[in-house]
Amino acid sequence: MLLIRRSQRANNAVRTASASGELFVASIVICMILSAFGDSVDPTLFGEAGIEFAIFDLAGEFSVLTMRHWHLLQFLFAGAVAAAGLCVLRVCAARFTRAMNPAPKRAIDKVPI
Amino acid sequence: METDFFSAAFLSALLSIILIDLVLAGDNALVIGLVARNLPKESQRKVILWGTFGAIAIRALMAILVVYILDVPGFMVAGGLALIWIARKLLTPEEHAEESHLVKGPATSLFGAIRTIVIADAVMGIDNVLAIGGAAHGSILLILIGLAISVPIIVWGSHLVIKLVDRFPSVILLGGAVLAWTGYGMIVREPFFASWFQAHPPAKFLMAVLVFSLSLAPWYTARASETFKPLAALLPGIVVWMLCFEVAGSIWKMQVDYLMATDIGGYAMEAARWLGWLPLAALYLWIYERFFVRRQQTANG
Repeated sequence: MLLIRRSQRANNAVRTASASGELFVASIVICMILSAFGDSVDPTLFGEAGIEFAIFDLAGEFSVLTMRHWHLLQFLFAGAVAAAGLCVLRVCAARFTRAMNPAPKRAIDKVPI
Repeated sequence: METDFFSAAFLSALLSIILIDLVLAGDNALVIGLVARNLPKESQRKVILWGTFGAIAIRALMAILVVYILDVPGFMVAGGLALIWIARKLLTPEEHAEESHLVKGPATSLFGAIRTIVIADAVMGIDNVLAIGGAAHGSILLILIGLAISVPIIVWGSHLVIKLVDRFPSVILLGGAVLAWTGYGMIVREPFFASWFQAHPPAKFLMAVLVFSLSLAPWYTARASETFKPLAALLPGIVVWMLCFEVAGSIWKMQVDYLMATDIGGYAMEAARWLGWLPLAALYLWIYERFFVRRQQTANG
């Protein structure tokens, strides 16, 4: 029997993991799949199609093609950055949409214009 | 594998091994407790000492064996497939997690108790040792470090591990992802298929998607509604369809490269490759809806 089965939360990790934890692991998985894509893609094919800008950035440091050489540590860092970025984006988007919604007409703090 | 202690490759392999050790650690304390509970006090101490020693010895022996076994052609891909199954099992919640099927009952003799503990540890440790062998890329040093980490977990660290995974269940998900990644690495490194994967680069990407979609299915379908449940079979099915074209291309020497079609036959092949799975997927969804969903709805009243 696995040790993790002794904990109810760990045994049911697919349901009890926090949203941010799931986002972090999902980002890592996406980075891993992108790395496999970078390993399988032929750069000349993208050049012929005229979309090389889609896989090369300015210095070529973070392109999909470079990801083929990444190890778990890089995946962890990239996953953490991507998850943090998505969290910030979500908070900003939520605030933006809230600000765009007009206050109810009869609300006590409604400013008459 | 580089042996430079501060290289990203070495540290990453070490991190993989630590994660695998954490999530695949067996509950030896429970086994020892179950086996030795009816023995006299003096015998219990001996059982704990020799049982732990035997468990460590069998783990070391298996770790050495796995390095040599993975060098045999064909075993790398078998190990990769086994890791996919292990990752699925890890992420699938167990209903009766409190019971241990490895121990039938308390032992009546000292030798019988030690034998049961050693066999139980060997059975519990197979997945751990296999995963460490895959993550270590054949490096004996990393295998030894993995062993050095797993032994304290066997002997003293169980409470610490339980506390950690109870506080952060995402560690289990991360462990599943690392197992899937290790399994994918083992499959594409297999000497039988390495040159084929080199000649068919898209197959590598398809294999990665296939491995992750199979390994992590218990996770991405856990909260999915009934409508999205068939995705767990559809996604790997589509990837297998695409992979079949790669395999057929190398067997019958067909042109199946992306965007390379020049004649009607080539265009037909591309159309079959990219759209041919649609009728099959529709048929599968129809069968699923007709026989499984409706039957479930009828049963629920």
